[in-house]
Amino acid sequence: MISLKNITKTFKGFKAVKDLSIDIPRGEIYGLLGSNGAGKSTTINILLGFLKPDKGEAFIDDINVTKSTDIARKKIGYISENVNLYPYLTGIENLNYFCKLAGENYTAEKLSNILNDCGLDSQAINKKVGTYSKGMRQKVGIAIAFAKKAKVLLLDEPASGLDPLASTELSTTLKTLSDKGTTVLMASHDIFRVRETCDRIGILRNGSLIDQMDTANVTTNELEKIYIEYMRN
Amino acid sequence: MMISIILNEWKILVRNRSIVYVSLVFMLSIISVVWMGNLQSKNQSQAQIAAEKHIRAQWDNLEPMNPHRAAHYGVYVFKPISILNSLDDGVSSITGNVLKLEGHVQNEIVHSEASQSIAISRFGKLKPSTIMQYMVPLFLIFLSFGSISNDKETGRLKLIALQGVSLEKLILSKSLSIWLYGLILLIFSILLQFLLGSSSADFGIRIGFILISYGLYYFIVVCLSTYISASFKNNTSAISLLLATWIMWTIFLPKIWGNTVEKVHPLPSRQNFISQMKEDRSKGIDGHNPTDERRSKLKEEYLARYNVDSLSQLPINFDGIVMQADEEYGNQVWDKHFGNNYLIYQKQKRLYQLSGLLNPFSSLQNLSMGFCGSDMIHHLDFLKKAELYRRYLIKTLNDKHAHGGSKTGEWRWTVDNTFFRSVKTFKYQTMKIKDQIENYYIDILSLIVWVLFSGFLIRYKIKRDIII
Repeated sequence: MISLKNITKTFKGFKAVKDLSIDIPRGEIYGLLGSNGAGKSTTINILLGFLKPDKGEAFIDDINVTKSTDIARKKIGYISENVNLYPYLTGIENLNYFCKLAGENYTAEKLSNILNDCGLDSQAINKKVGTYSKGMRQKVGIAIAFAKKAKVLLLDEPASGLDPLASTELSTTLKTLSDKGTTVLMASHDIFRVRETCDRIGILRNGSLIDQMDTANVTTNELEKIYIEYMRN
Repeated sequence: MMISIILNEWKILVRNRSIVYVSLVFMLSIISVVWMGNLQSKNQSQAQIAAEKHIRAQWDNLEPMNPHRAAHYGVYVFKPISILNSLDDGVSSITGNVLKLEGHVQNEIVHSEASQSIAISRFGKLKPSTIMQYMVPLFLIFLSFGSISNDKETGRLKLIALQGVSLEKLILSKSLSIWLYGLILLIFSILLQFLLGSSSADFGIRIGFILISYGLYYFIVVCLSTYISASFKNNTSAISLLLATWIMWTIFLPKIWGNTVEKVHPLPSRQNFISQMKEDRSKGIDGHNPTDERRSKLKEEYLARYNVDSLSQLPINFDGIVMQADEEYGNQVWDKHFGNNYLIYQKQKRLYQLSGLLNPFSSLQNLSMGFCGSDMIHHLDFLKKAELYRRYLIKTLNDKHAHGGSKTGEWRWTVDNTFFRSVKTFKYQTMKIKDQIENYYIDILSLIVWVLFSGFLIRYKIKRDIII
């Protein structure tokens, strides 16, 4: 569902991503682990079509992102580290607006159901987003992707700054979406959260993928040791 | 999709209390300035009407006197004050609005507001056009800038782009939503003027043109602001450039260009103008036809025409003929010098109008003054019509002096007020704007060019990498 083939991206002589290739099948949650500057956000921006790779190709559901950006974007949901919505609008108004931008017209009942399914309680949906916590805003962000019927969800440091409960709720929501067939790519440096949420993990260092593993075959402690070892080297 | 974005922007504007408060302040300022301006215009207008009646009554009740004495007594005429002058008083506050018309001399218009008020002479007059030309656009710049920079800073641009919205449509929609906000403030102030104004067709046309001119200007300001805001990754650089542009447009360029225009097409100095007029009047326009020679020639001509040997034998009063001839000669001198000045004014105006291609603010100012009837074109028209009336008045008096039954040298001969009452009153009708529109083609064209240019920038020159 998500495929990166020999992607290289350079910024003013600095290689942010080097010959990166990853294949993520439908319904998998893939965690891209790496320290700051490892190339995680660049990889996500290439998949979003906001950056063009110098070499290689990126595909979403077999659509070349660089060549058919608009078509590919229709299949993508995106959650950034800080989901910044319109603070003067309520949760349901924000969702309604983003749905309209995507050409979807939902009833208020349907919008409420989507928000509820994404973990936002009924009382909160009519409050202004300016009063929301970071976790609540992320739920609205996920609802936007869900309402769009995104086949792929790209998350850039989604758990950063979330309290443990909100983090756990996020993991649960992502797993639910994955069970329904959504493919998830989650970039993070939070080893514990990645281990808890993802089916497979790739470790990125200086723009190169240096290791991949199934989370079923590794404990959190082992993963931490491996990660730190790679970072030291 | 664009409608959704515009509606959403409006929802946010309405819910943002600071914007609501600022809008209320704007509206209250506009109401108070329009109301005070109208009140002042009405008071001035009423005072003028009362003064006109009083002066006419004095004229009608003149004691029996020699017509030439009446020519020196003269009359006062007033430049009418339109309700639109309170919207933009243009050059009116510095040119004055009272003119004394009398024999032998073309007086200058006096009693400008600036000459009677230290505040006006130093700081200018607070009028709706000040708010509409300076404050509203500045606020629109901040709104436009914030609208894009917020989305950039918060990363919302990414989210919006992922929903399938093109950057061009987003920026155009945001520009339109802020432009509509400016348009509402504009319509609000124009509507107030309209309700307080007259209902003539010319007034309606002028109001319509004012609305279009300001509407176009606001569109340019908003589009350029959103474009600059969207094009710079650094918000501080973007807002600095916007403010620098605004200052250049409103403060520096008009003055720099104005001074350049005066250097390229200089008007004669006041002293030079007056001394040249005096010289031409005494020595003759060509310098070879002095007053005494002209009088002798005229005398010979009239003696021959009536077939008599001396002035005392003439059945008419030759003094009246001489005065009218001198008056007509003076008119030629005035036409020559004033006509020359008028041509220079025209050249200056044309050159100044071209600055609109660099600075749409100057086009807006020209159009605003023009459509409010307070620019130099309207002022000069008043002066011309007043001069025509002066010529009619003096000729009527001189003709009476010459042909009314007196003989040459009978300076004690008088006419009663039946004659004075028969002299028509000066009634000035402001020019119809549809007959004058060609004077503003360059300004209108400049604004249209700027609108197209702004639209072009948004459509084709937005950099995509601002999203990340």
